[in-house]
Amino acid sequence: MANQRALPQSKESLLQNYNKRLKDDIRSILDNLTEIIKTAKVEDETQVSRATQAEQDHYEMHVRAANIVRAGESLMKLVSDLKQFLILNDFPSVNEAISLQNQQLRSLQEECDKKLTSLRDEIAIDLYELEEEYYSSRYK
Amino acid sequence: MANDRLRALEEVENQIATILQYAGNVVLELSKDKHNASFLDRQLSQVTGSVNRVATELSSQIRYLTQVATGQPHEGSTYSARKDCQMALNRAEYTRVKLGELGRTCEVMLDPQL
Repeated sequence: MANQRALPQSKESLLQNYNKRLKDDIRSILDNLTEIIKTAKVEDETQVSRATQAEQDHYEMHVRAANIVRAGESLMKLVSDLKQFLILNDFPSVNEAISLQNQQLRSLQEECDKKLTSLRDEIAIDLYELEEEYYSSRYK
Repeated sequence: MANDRLRALEEVENQIATILQYAGNVVLELSKDKHNASFLDRQLSQVTGSVNRVATELSSQIRYLTQVATGQPHEGSTYSARKDCQMALNRAEYTRVKLGELGRTCEVMLDPQL
């Protein structure tokens, strides 16, 4: 990015924060899913009794599943923040939207004025004829 | 242009939901006594594929925002064009009202019983 401008510290730190959140959440999802799959393997030899080991694995899977869901929700929040940031700071698209809106409004105004002008010209012609008729009659 | 990026982010949200769904399917399959290995492989490959797509798309959006964000508020406005257009519509409405009055006057003159 040779043309990158120096962003204000708040914006730059905000974007870095988005990157960090993205990496953390993706890593959390993958790591916790991997650990769940590893935990699903039944070991023949355990340090504690099978029942205790099963209880521990059960609790660990619960926690890891909750971590995956939390990471998913955090990613949704990140997407929402990115949408908001995009709407407020994506100047190229904001400029394009403003120029498109201006163009539509000006074309509507020109069409309106053109029709009024043609209407004025038609009424002027009719008025001319009416005036001729009136001033050549006995009612003037 | 903005709509495309916003639609891409909505698609990312859908993909995040499918990631959680596939992960849930994996855990559900592991909870069974007899696992279907091919089903597990398919679901896991879909999870990793979706995760990679989400990461790529969000990284690309953040990179784009790093390039275009200035930190300043946008000061563009459509007020001027909107005002001119509103004035043109007001002129048209005024013309319509006056022509209506003229029409009613002509009707009264032509038919005194009105």
